[in-house]
Amino acid sequence: MVFTSFRLPGEFGGLAPINILPGEVAGDSGLTTETYQFFFSDFIYIEIFLKSFAVATFTTLICIAMAYPLALLIARSRKKFRNLMIMLVVLPFASNFLVRIYAWMIILGPESGLSHFINGILAFFGIAPVTLLFSPFAVLIGMVYVHLPFMILPLYTNLEKHDPILLDAAQDLGANSWQRFWYITWPQSLPGIFSGSALVFIPVLGMFAIPDILGGTGDIMIGNLIKDQFLGTRDWPFGSTLSIMLTLAVLGTAGLFSRFARTRNPV
Amino acid sequence: MIDLLQRLARLSLALLITISVIGCAQQDNSTGSNKTPTRILQVFNWNNYIAPETIQRFEASCDCGVKQDYFSDNEEMLAKLAAGASGYDLIVPTGNAMDTLIRQGVLIPLDKTLLPNLKNIHPAYLKTIFDPANQYSVPYAYTLTLLGFNSNKMRELGLPTDTWAIIFEPEYLQKIKGRVTVLDSPRELMSAALLYLGYSANDQDETHWNQAKELIIRAKPYWAAFSNTSYIREIAIGDLWVVHGYSNDLFQAALDAKKTGRNFAIDYAIPKQGAVMSLDSMVLHKNGKHTGIAHQFVNFMLDGRNSAELTNLIGSGNPNIDAKPFIQPELLQNKVIFPDEDTLSRLEMITDLNHKQRRIFSRIWTEIKLR
Amino acid sequence: MLHRQTALWIVSILVYAFLYIPLIIVVVFSFNDSKLNAEWAGFTLHWYKALLNNHEMLLAARNSLIIAISASFLATTLGTMAGLAIHRYKLKVLPILAFTPVAMPEVLLGVSLLLFFLQVLNLTLGMLSIIIAHTTFCIGFVAIIVRARLQGMDESIFEAARDLGATPWQTFHQITLPLIRPAIIAGALMSFTLSIDDFVITFFTKGVGEPILPIQIYTMIKVAVTPEVNAISTLLMLLTLTLIIIATRFDTSMLRGESK
Repeated sequence: MVFTSFRLPGEFGGLAPINILPGEVAGDSGLTTETYQFFFSDFIYIEIFLKSFAVATFTTLICIAMAYPLALLIARSRKKFRNLMIMLVVLPFASNFLVRIYAWMIILGPESGLSHFINGILAFFGIAPVTLLFSPFAVLIGMVYVHLPFMILPLYTNLEKHDPILLDAAQDLGANSWQRFWYITWPQSLPGIFSGSALVFIPVLGMFAIPDILGGTGDIMIGNLIKDQFLGTRDWPFGSTLSIMLTLAVLGTAGLFSRFARTRNPV
Repeated sequence: MIDLLQRLARLSLALLITISVIGCAQQDNSTGSNKTPTRILQVFNWNNYIAPETIQRFEASCDCGVKQDYFSDNEEMLAKLAAGASGYDLIVPTGNAMDTLIRQGVLIPLDKTLLPNLKNIHPAYLKTIFDPANQYSVPYAYTLTLLGFNSNKMRELGLPTDTWAIIFEPEYLQKIKGRVTVLDSPRELMSAALLYLGYSANDQDETHWNQAKELIIRAKPYWAAFSNTSYIREIAIGDLWVVHGYSNDLFQAALDAKKTGRNFAIDYAIPKQGAVMSLDSMVLHKNGKHTGIAHQFVNFMLDGRNSAELTNLIGSGNPNIDAKPFIQPELLQNKVIFPDEDTLSRLEMITDLNHKQRRIFSRIWTEIKLR
Repeated sequence: MLHRQTALWIVSILVYAFLYIPLIIVVVFSFNDSKLNAEWAGFTLHWYKALLNNHEMLLAARNSLIIAISASFLATTLGTMAGLAIHRYKLKVLPILAFTPVAMPEVLLGVSLLLFFLQVLNLTLGMLSIIIAHTTFCIGFVAIIVRARLQGMDESIFEAARDLGATPWQTFHQITLPLIRPAIIAGALMSFTLSIDDFVITFFTKGVGEPILPIQIYTMIKVAVTPEVNAISTLLMLLTLTLIIIATRFDTSMLRGESK
C-alpha cells in the first residue's frame, strides 16, 4: 500500500514568517520575530481573534440547537425513512458554497419580502428600520446555514447507536420524558455533539467568504485579515504570522474537543 | 477484471472530455476573428480602460492580436504579479504601483526611438517622481479622486460642494446621513483625510496618520458604506447624494442620470484642499515576448486620435496635447479632464510606502474598519 | 411520547425548510424578469440565454470541469490507497495526515498551499496548481469514505482468501477492490463535486487569466448582482445534486462516514 499522504506535511512547512517580501528588493531577509511583535503590539489583532471565537461559539450553539431535534427525529424514525431523510439533509450541502451565501443576500436584502415584513413590524412599534444584510446577524445566519449539515450528521450517527432499551427501562422506573432525555439521551450524545462542534467551530474560525459577502465593514474575522495580507497588502510575513496564530488556535480547540469527545463513554 | 476495465473506461472518458473541452476552449480564445494571429500582445489593464475600436484598429495595423487581462485595483495587479502571473508584455499601472515595479526591476527601459509620438504628451505629466527620465513609462490616462454629488440635493440642503468637509464634518454629515459613501481604499480615504487636515496626501508622519484615522472614525457612523464600484449606480439613481469617487466613474454616472431622464443632475468637483491624481502609465514587463509590438502599441496609443477615444468614452483625464482636436467639445471645457495650471497645483500623486509603513498603514485601516 | 414526537416533527420541518427555502428562492428568482432582482417582475429565460453568451463564464465552466475531472481522478486513486493504508496499518499518524485538510479552516490550507507552490516548488500558479490543491483536500474525503466502507467489512473473507493461497495482489484485485468499488465511485463523485464547488482554496491558488467558475460567481456577486448569478447557480445546483444522488446510490454509508 502506497503512503500517499506524504504530500500533506509539505504544505504546512510553507507557513514560516520569514521576512522576505515578494515584490520588494528586500534589504533585510532572514528569520525575525518582528511580525510576532507587531501582532501583539496592538490589541486590535487579539480583538479580531476574540471576535472570531465569539462568532464560532454562537454558530456552534445555534447549530446544536437546530440540529439536535432533527437528528433525534431521524434516529428515531423507521429504518426505511432514515436514508431519505439523511439525503435530504445532505443535498443542500451539495449546492455551491457561494450560492448558499448568495441566497441569503437575496433574502436579507433591504428590498426583500422578509425585510419589509420585519421592518413593518418594527415600524408598528415605532422602532427605526434595520438593515438585515451586511450585519453581524447576516454573518451568523450565513455561518449556521453553511455548517448545519456538519452538525446534523455526526449527531445523528451518534444518536442512531443509542439503545432504546435504556429508555424503556427508565420509563418503567417512572422517569418522565424530560428526565429520560436529560439523564440518558443527552449524556450519551455528548461525543456526537463534540464531533459536530469540532466540524463547525474550526471551519467557522477561518471563514472569510461569509463575512466578506454578508457582513458589514466592521464584521471582519481572522480569515478576512489573513486573506488581505496575502492578496491585498502584500504583507506575506505578517499574513504567515496570523496564519500560525490561527493554526495554534485551531489545534488547541481541536485538542479540547477530541478530549471531551473521548472521555465520555456511553453507558 | 471488470473493475479495471471500468477504471480504464473512466480514464478514457476523462481524457476524451478534457481533449474536446480544451479544443473548444482554443476556439473561444480567438478574439472573434477567424484566423488566429501568431503574434499576440498580452496586456494587463484596468477594466474598461481602452475603447474596443482602438484595439481593433491596432490589430489591423500591426497584423497581430491583442489579448487583455483585467484588474480592478493596483494592489490586485501587484499581488497577482507577485504570485507568479507572467507573460504580460504591457501593463498599465498607476504611479505608485509603477514605482514598485521599477524598484523590483521587472520593467524594460523604453526605446524612445520607437516612440516618435511621445512628443504629444503635455510636459506637466512627464518626469514624474517615480520615473523622472521617463525611462520605463509613458503616461496613458489619469483619473482624479474627488467628490461626486447630486447637485439638486446639495442646493436644496445648502451644502458646499468644493470641500472635503462634507464627508468628514458631522455638522454637514448629519444632513446627508446614510446618503454618503467613501472609497473602500486605504490610501484613497486616508489621503482625502490628510488633505483635509492640511497635510500632503503623501505625509508619512505617524501622528498625522492617527489624526486622519480619528477623523475618519468620527465620520464613519454617518456614511452608508465603503464602496468602490456600486456607488456609480447608486448616485445615478438617486439613492446616494455625495460620493467619494473616481472622475471617470462620475463622468459615467452623470451621463447615466441624464440619459435616464432623472430630475436631478450629477456633478463633481475637485475640493479646494486638493485631490489625488492617479496617473496611469504604460510600462513593458520583461517577461513579455513581443517587445517590438509592445513599443508599437505604446506609440499607437500616444497618437492624439487614439488617446482621445478613451477620453470620449469614459471621461478620463488626458495628458496628450495632440488629442484635443479629437475630443468632444463639451469635454474640452471640463477642468477635470483638462485641468488648468491652478488646478494642477492642487493635485498630488500617491507615492508607495515601504513595507514597514504599509504594515502600520494596514493596521490603521483594520482599526478604521473595526471601530 | 406522542406530544414530544409532534414537537420534534415541527422543529424538524422548520429546520428542513430553513435548509431548502433559500435555495428554492435562488432557483425561482433565476427566472425573474428584473435586473435588480429585488422583487418578482415576471418570468423569463433571458438570464439563461445571457449565460450562454457570456464567454468568460463558459470558459470558466470548462476550466472548472477540467480541474474537477483531473483532481477527482487523482484524488480517488490516491485517496483509495490512503484509505486502505489507514485501515491496514493502524498507525495513529496516518489518519491525521490524510484527514487534516478536511477539518482545517480552508484559509490555512489555501495560504500554505500558496506559499508551498511559490516558495518551495517555484511553481507558476495556473491550472496545475489548482489541480494539485484540489487533489490535496479531496484525498481526505475519499479516504474517509473508503475507510468507512472497509471498517464495515468482515475480515474473515481476507483470511479465507489467504488460506486458499491467494497472493496479496490477487486478494486486493479480486476481493478488496470489488467490495470497495461503491465507496470508490462515491468518493470520485464526491471529489468532483467538491472540486467544482470549491471557492476558498481556488481563490488562493489560481493564476491569472484563467477564469474558474466559483471565482466568476464571486466576482459577479461582489460587483454587479443580476439574476444571471441565480441562473448559473441553478445550473450548478442541478449538476451537483445529480452527482450526489448518484453517489449515495452507490454507497449510503458514505453519508455517515464522518467519523474522525
